[in-house]
Amino acid sequence: MFNFDSLSLLFVFLILLGAIPNLFYASGYLSHIKRKTHFLIHYFTFIISMIGVVISNEVVVFLFFWEIMSLTSWQLILTEPTEKAIKSARFYFFMTHFGFVFILLFFLILSPDNAFASFNDMKELANNFKYPTLLFALITIGFLSKAGAVPFHVWLPYAHPEAPSPVSALMSGVMLKVAIYAFLRFIFILPNWQLEWGVIILTIGALSSLIGVLYALAEHDIKALLANHSIENIGIILIGIGVGMIFTNLHLYTLAAFGFIAAVYHTFNHMSFKALLFMSAGSVLHQTHTKNMESYGGLIKTMPVTAYLFLIAAISISALPPTNGFLSEWMIFQSMLSSHSVDDIILKLAFPFAIFALALTGGLAIACFVKAFGITFLGLERSSNAKHAKEVNKLMLIGQILMGGVVISLMLFLPNIIHLINVSLPIVDIYSKLFPNYFVMHSLNGGAVAPLLLLGALIVITALIVYVYKSLNLKERIYHTWACGYNTNSRSQYTATGFGGPIRRFFEWLYKPEVHSHKTTLAGHKTKFSDSLFEVHVKPLFEKSLYDNTKLLVDKISDIIYKWSNFEKEKYASLIFILLATVLFSYRVFAHQSSWGSILLEFTVMSIFIKIIIIGDKK
Amino acid sequence: MIQYILTTLLIFIIAPFLTGLIKSIKMFLLFKKPISPFQPYLDLKKLFNKEIIYSKETSSISRIAPFLILSPIVLVVFLLPPIFSGSFYISFMDAFTITGLLSLSTFFLMLIGLDSASSFGGIGASRESFISALVEPAMILTIFSVSLIGQNINIGASALNLANNFPLEHSASFILAGISFFILLIAENGRIPIDNPETHLELTMVHEAMILDVTGANLALIELAGSLKFIIFASIFVTLFIPFGADLCWCLAVTIFILKLFFVALAVALVEVNGAKLRLFKVPNLLGIAIIFGFLSLVTFYILGGNQ
Repeated sequence: MFNFDSLSLLFVFLILLGAIPNLFYASGYLSHIKRKTHFLIHYFTFIISMIGVVISNEVVVFLFFWEIMSLTSWQLILTEPTEKAIKSARFYFFMTHFGFVFILLFFLILSPDNAFASFNDMKELANNFKYPTLLFALITIGFLSKAGAVPFHVWLPYAHPEAPSPVSALMSGVMLKVAIYAFLRFIFILPNWQLEWGVIILTIGALSSLIGVLYALAEHDIKALLANHSIENIGIILIGIGVGMIFTNLHLYTLAAFGFIAAVYHTFNHMSFKALLFMSAGSVLHQTHTKNMESYGGLIKTMPVTAYLFLIAAISISALPPTNGFLSEWMIFQSMLSSHSVDDIILKLAFPFAIFALALTGGLAIACFVKAFGITFLGLERSSNAKHAKEVNKLMLIGQILMGGVVISLMLFLPNIIHLINVSLPIVDIYSKLFPNYFVMHSLNGGAVAPLLLLGALIVITALIVYVYKSLNLKERIYHTWACGYNTNSRSQYTATGFGGPIRRFFEWLYKPEVHSHKTTLAGHKTKFSDSLFEVHVKPLFEKSLYDNTKLLVDKISDIIYKWSNFEKEKYASLIFILLATVLFSYRVFAHQSSWGSILLEFTVMSIFIKIIIIGDKK
Repeated sequence: MIQYILTTLLIFIIAPFLTGLIKSIKMFLLFKKPISPFQPYLDLKKLFNKEIIYSKETSSISRIAPFLILSPIVLVVFLLPPIFSGSFYISFMDAFTITGLLSLSTFFLMLIGLDSASSFGGIGASRESFISALVEPAMILTIFSVSLIGQNINIGASALNLANNFPLEHSASFILAGISFFILLIAENGRIPIDNPETHLELTMVHEAMILDVTGANLALIELAGSLKFIIFASIFVTLFIPFGADLCWCLAVTIFILKLFFVALAVALVEVNGAKLRLFKVPNLLGIAIIFGFLSLVTFYILGGNQ
């Protein structure tokens, strides 16, 4: 029923790392929640079900916990049943079960006679199954729709912000990782990985990372911004997995191992800093009662601890050294740079595009978190709520500080974490190659980074500069500075919309933003006005094109079916007649006289039948 | 080791001079009476003697950010490629760490822009974030390409490889990468086609807008970081893309290195004098050229069959 192998234990460790600080945070947050029993029941069931998913070893047990995980998180989104929450919960419910269908199909194929088959039995069946690509497609759609990879990511920016903040931290930090676990678990069951699989995963990863960060930049709901960043980071993880799969196919097992380790290490890192970001954003939300970044500002003065924890997480997620986010992104870059030892020239030329996507993602992530931190915590307050914000209660702070500790220790104990990941995955042991000594991490193509030395050097240099600076005994004064003659007030500073302006304009072809603006001008002056508003809304392209058009198509089909189901009796009879004729005719054509001519003849005759009998004359 | 310390020290000392040199070359070319190239030292001294004024709206970020802007850049100076063979260099940090540290410095620079609640800081931070987001991919592609040509991902080893046995068959991709890196040098240091370091006009400011509210010693730290950043880019450019003279005796090598730095300063000054500042939304075109050249450099390298 349950199996505690090393991969399961690794992810149990991840869940506990994510959940324990969250327990403190949630108990501090509880006063903010109205339906307490509802929340608590689902919250604890949610955590237990996630652990259940990663340790289960049988089909039915796995599916049971998987479904419980989906249902409890669905109910947790509905903790505050506002109109918006109900709508996004419905969307989430639909999307998660859309994925579930594919997972179910996968299991039905691989365990036809025994629902309690263990995963090892499935391995044998998978070895004998003739179409492994089908299995790959099923788990890709099934698990990656839960993980929030493009194009199944659309639910994520709706569902995560609506949940209470501790739950958002769990969903984004841990639940997505459980989906990654499931993907890894079952991808290792499949035999004979094709080259195309790796390329597909790499492409999905590159697209997800770019699309995630681009939409994050356009957001001004802070939790939706963070949710979009989850898409980005899932993309980065998938790039690592894709690189690993490609190198495995090319029999470069050490390079493949490096890619997989990078991906799983980034999984840990994303869990830590994304949970911390959601917690800190939740604290801000707890105090200001709004998710709109345009009403924040200056919160670092009233909520310093939250602000600095947010800053640590923001530096880490922007992949700036010496944080853990930098280290895992460095590993993923290095694993892609190893592509120059590939023989296939096409593949070799394709890798720079993925490198480009990841690098652009990194640059945009920096922009995005300067915006998130700068607009939220710096400057002047933009609303009275932000003005009266106070530091949150102790329990919430403890939760955040613990998570900050997780972020920092993932960097400090890098070699230990990497060793743990390496022995847990079914890959070649490359630990001794990566770490000839404890301080320096080598990549397999000659690159190296020394996180502890880097951190130490930064601290020493900063301390020296500060020491010299302090010894100068400089005079300080707090006074007005010259703002080019303007009055500095909260209305004159930059907004989140304004900050993202240049990037939004550059990617206008992608965003297609809707601008709402109005101005009440004073006595015919063009530039003087008493009242003005400028708002930009961006609806994700995928949602607009893919999902809305699918909706339209389904509408049309159901419309046709509705018309057909309201036929008169004669028409039903004729429909049956035509079906019968088609089957007989086709049998005749395909079994005995299979040629293009006879197929064309059948097609013509059948069209005439349909025209005459079913459609009839137009009135 | 002693040579390593001396050359690092030399870079620290020469950094403000190089910024001053560009300025005086520019003034000379514009038929103005040129200032002394040593002017930046005097400026720094003057700023250190001034009183520091914090704007009323600022928070603790304004107090810590100047140190965090300077210290990553100081660290990068220690990681630069060696300027002559046999010199010690740090082999356990590669080019990604360098780009990361430079971004860390830019991150805090943008925060300081947003901290004082003035709209100018916002303008600067917003534009800088836009430009640096586009610089990042070009930088990484170019460095990847150079590290392939120099056969080592560590730019120190790569620079020595290039200087000692230059792979002539890859000169095409080498030149493409060089052009790309020169554009990045201009973009990252806020030089004229991208940003004008001399105006304080809201339409054109990027870098200056962010530090408009910074005064006294804090401003000195940021100015110092700026000139160090320029010399970092210049010395990476000259050691990687003008790779000769490294195998001479150390005194000659250092002289040649300094001459090459002067050459870069002259090139930047010429670009500045002969070009106008681009509109902000034309900047991506220039950076696009850098990105495309990075790609082309990699493609030519692969097609000519490197590393088989």
